[in-house]
Parts: sequence; C-alpha cells; structure tokens
Amino acid sequence: MATAVNPPKKHDWADDDDENEVSTDLPPPQTIQNKDSTMTTITWGYNDKNEKVKTTRRIRHTVRREVVNPRVAARKKLPKFGLSAKDSPGPVPDTTSIGENIIFVPSANWRKEAKDEKNDPNAQAMKDKLKDKKVKCRICSGEHFTARCPYKDTMAPIGETAAAEPGAGAITEDPAIALQGAPGAGKKGSYVPPALRGDRAGPGERMASKFGERDDSTTLRVTNVSEMAEEGELRDMFERFGRVTRVFLAKDRETGLAKGFAFVSFADRTDAVKACAKMDGFGFKHLILRVEFSKKTT
Amino acid sequence: MRPILLSGHERALTQVKYNRDGDLIFSTAKDQHICAWYAHNGERLGTYHGHVGAIWSVDVDPTCTLLASGSADNTLRLWEVETGKLLHTWEFPTAVKRVEFSFDGSKVLGVTEKRMGHLGSIVVFDVDLDPKAEQTDERSLTIICDESKATVAGWSYLSKYIIAGHEDGSVSQYDAKTGDLLDNVPVHELNQPITDLQWDSDRYTFITASKDKTAKLISARNLDVLKTYPSDTPLNSAAITPNKDFVILGGGQAAMDVTTTAARQGKFEARFYHKIFEEEVGRVRGHFGPLNTIASDPTGKGYCSGGEDGYVRVHHFDAGYFNFYYEVERERMNKLAAEGASKK
Repeated sequence: MATAVNPPKKHDWADDDDENEVSTDLPPPQTIQNKDSTMTTITWGYNDKNEKVKTTRRIRHTVRREVVNPRVAARKKLPKFGLSAKDSPGPVPDTTSIGENIIFVPSANWRKEAKDEKNDPNAQAMKDKLKDKKVKCRICSGEHFTARCPYKDTMAPIGETAAAEPGAGAITEDPAIALQGAPGAGKKGSYVPPALRGDRAGPGERMASKFGERDDSTTLRVTNVSEMAEEGELRDMFERFGRVTRVFLAKDRETGLAKGFAFVSFADRTDAVKACAKMDGFGFKHLILRVEFSKKTT
Repeated sequence: MRPILLSGHERALTQVKYNRDGDLIFSTAKDQHICAWYAHNGERLGTYHGHVGAIWSVDVDPTCTLLASGSADNTLRLWEVETGKLLHTWEFPTAVKRVEFSFDGSKVLGVTEKRMGHLGSIVVFDVDLDPKAEQTDERSLTIICDESKATVAGWSYLSKYIIAGHEDGSVSQYDAKTGDLLDNVPVHELNQPITDLQWDSDRYTFITASKDKTAKLISARNLDVLKTYPSDTPLNSAAITPNKDFVILGGGQAAMDVTTTAARQGKFEARFYHKIFEEEVGRVRGHFGPLNTIASDPTGKGYCSGGEDGYVRVHHFDAGYFNFYYEVERERMNKLAAEGASKK
C-alpha cells in the first residue's frame, strides 16, 4: 500500500520576512521613568543606508484640568449618532482636520499697516518707474494730456505728421499736402498696403528684366497655336506685315512641343496693328489663331 | 491660532450656531443634514437626518435639549439634540428661511419665504422643552409681511419684541405678544437685503449685515442705529463677540456675481471691527469662498465661520486677542482698578 509521504516542509520564499530577521539583532525599545516626571523612550531602527539608529525621545505628559459646567461634561460622554455613529472616540480625520496656523493679532492701526504693506511691492515700484516720466501732449508737446490740449481741434497730433513726412520729405514741405497724397493715410489706424502708401512717388520699381526694358506696345500675343508649330514658321507668317524683331514660342522643356502660345514683336507699331487685324482668326495647322496685343504684366 | 476645519458638509454652509454653553456647534448646509460638533476639538457628535431639501437655518434651545431647523422642503423640524431623533415637523406652503428660539426657549419663530402667491410671514409656535412631550401644531402667532418679505428675524430681550430684517434693507419691530408692527426703519440702503441679524449676549442690541456692504449695530428698544461698520464687500453675516468689544463681519463676492462686478478680489476674510470705535482691527483669512455665516462662541473664547466652500472653520483665539485694548480702554481700566484699590 502506497502511503503518501509528506515531503519535508519546503521553505517558501513568500514567508521570508527580512524585517523580522533584522529586528532580532536590535535591542528592544526601552521606556524609562525619569525623576523629573518625564519619560524617556529609546527605540532602535535602521535608516535608508542600513545603519543602526538609536532614537531617544523625552516626553513630558501634562494633564490640564479644565473645570466645565456639569452639563458640558455630561455632553462630552454622549454616544455618537447619525453619520458619526460608527466613528471612533475623538476627532475623526474624515471630518475634522487642523488648518495651517493663522496669525491674528488685533491692532488699532491695522488698516494703515495693511495699506503700507500693499503699497510696498507694487505701487512703489510703479512710482519709481514713473518718477522721471512727464506727461507730454502729442499735439503741442505741452505738459498736459493730449485730450486736454487747447489746440486739439486745430492741430493734428505730432506723431501723424511725422509719420507722413519721411517719404514725402524732399518733395513737399507742407505735411498737409503729403497727407492728401496718401490715400487712406488720413484715416487713422487703417492699414494701407505699401504700394499705396503716400511715401512712394509712384508705382514701385520694376524687377529688372533679363532683356532690359522692353516696349510691349508692339508685341502681339498669339494663342491657340498648334503644338507642331515652329518659331521659324511664325516668323515667316508675320514677316509679311513688317520687320519682326522677336518671336518667342513657348515650348515644353521636356517634349519640345509648343505650349500653344507665342509672342511676336514688330519694329513698328503700325505693322503690329495691321498684323493683329489680319492674323486674328487665321487658320494655321488645323487651328484658328487668336492674335491680340499683349497686355502689360504689372 | 490653528483653526479646526470641519468638513461634514458637501455643499455651501447656510448657518452655524453655538449652544449657550459654547461646547457644541451646529451647522447646516444646502445638503440635507444638520451636523453637531464639539467646539473644543472639532469632533463630530452626530448628524440629524430627515430633511429633504436645503436647510437654511438652525437654532438650539438654551438648555440644549431641542434643535429647530428650517428647510427648503417647506418644513420646520424639531430634533432631540443628544440622539438626533426627529421629534416634530411643522409644514408650510413655502420654505423656512430662519428659525430662532426665544431667550427662555418657550417659543420658536420661523420666517417663511414669499413664493407661489404666498406672502412672507413670521410664525411663532409654543414649544415644550421636554423631548417626550407632544408639540402643538397650533401657531401662537402669525405676522404677515405684506410690504417686503422678512429675511431674518429674532427675539429681543425678555421676548418683548420680534425684530425682523427685510429684503428692502429695513428693520421692523413687532410686538411679540400681539404681532403688531410697532416700527419700521430703513437702516440699510434701499433694496439691499439684510442677510443676517445676531444678538448681543443680553439681547438689547443686535447687529445686521447687509448686501450694501455695511453692518449696523441697532438698539432693539427703539431701532436706533448705534454704530455702522463699513466694509468693501457685500456682507453675509455679522456677529458680536461677548467679553471683548468686537464685531465679526463676513462676506465676499458671491461666485455668481464675480463676472458682473468690478471687484476682482474675493475678499473671503472674516473682518474684526472694534464695536465702539467702528474701526477695523484685523482680518482672518482661510476660506476659499465667501463666508455665509459666522457665529461667536458665547464664552468668548473663539468663533466659527461657515463658507460657500463647504467648510466650517473653528477658531480659538490666542493671547494676542485677549490682551488687545485701545489706549483709552487701558487707561480706563487702570483708573477703575486704582479706584477699587483706594476704596479698600
């Protein structure tokens, strides 16, 4: 008959409790009653660095007797009820806690003290900052606020004329004229795009062309040009009306095929006008050309 | 001083009250139970359950056996202080905003809200202070406030008058036996409601707090305004301290008013004014919301305040509070002491 032999009880690592082992080599805590009605308790322990630490506390217990009304004393022994029925005796941390210490000492000149305190950090700093600042009128530079200026209705603020002056500067002496020349500048605060600002004499400078300045008045734009067209063919067609100075046919960079439009420049404008009239609607390589004066690229 | 924080309520406090021995504090809030606390250590003695609406007001009778409470569930209830047992319920058509026992505890008054066609009124019941006794359902007095509804009310010295504070900022004096209106004085700014009315220890004077940012000390006999305490915030509560000549004011910008008023700071501090010189002598901070209610310990050792933040803070004064006197007060005390010594 096979009997289950109990194996020798294995050591379970979960039962390991190193704190128990450690505490064995610590002396037990001690409590000594001193002569001067204090108690000294000595406890031993380990700190984070595994060093033995001896803690000695001297505690004095004082019993403070307070004489209260017997009614009050009786109420102190009342059983708790309601939500507190299950609470342990004494204040329960759920409902009762101690706030931080508040220093409250009444003082006759409290208000004055508080005001000084308030003034110190903020108002004083602001005062220092503004100490050497003066009120200056924007209209007449007098020592008053602009709103109080006697010339408020008759003069414009200095700042506005000054803003208009630099651009108009050399041209006009009178700031009023400069203001008129600047549309929108009259209305204070509204945005004026740089191109329209009065401080520019005219339209802005052009980007310098690769071919220098070109007169576009004799240039025709030809559209609906066949893909198969060549610059030479176009030149031949337009030579009939006069001397052609330039033919440009836009071509795709990769395929080399025409993109469908070209520019033809004549030496003479009358030739260009004639060519524009005759060639508009001309059939070329199954397509009807459209010819017009090229518009200025602004 | 280290205040004791009592966190027994989940919603804004509506009233705190000490019993006459100063050892218990009762607190009500907009949640539906009343809490009783020991004043000396903040331990909760118990809670009183039964109301099904926000509780606006609480008062304890002078012998500390019965507790009265007024609630938004349109009832005025009577409880046994020591066990939390509900003893009696009086029902009304509208909410009960204020309750107060007379000085001898034989009567209790309730201020009912003006709502749903019912005028605001002050009702008085006779109370039997024995917890086992059957309470009467019959009103011994009803005062109808037809001009402006009463917000607060209380019993004067010898239960001679009922003094009521109104929504329009006026104070009325009623005969406590007949209910006749004897006098009505507009003490506060027009249409700035009176938010609190508390008595001096002898009930000859009372202090009113109003939304017009002032508190006034008024004589109960002829409604003369004796002192005015101006502050910089709407006030919700004011209390008179016994033994020392101070008044404590509490208030602050209500959360719903913060966006509509210029005042940016909360001003959630209890302000101490000298009762006679009308001068502010100090402040106690601590609450995170406006102070809804303040009560001073009848023994003069401390005070407690309940805030919109749901906390009650119980303060026990330090030596600095008790040693503080104005120079003239000190001189007078010295003179009196010298006279007393010379007589001997």
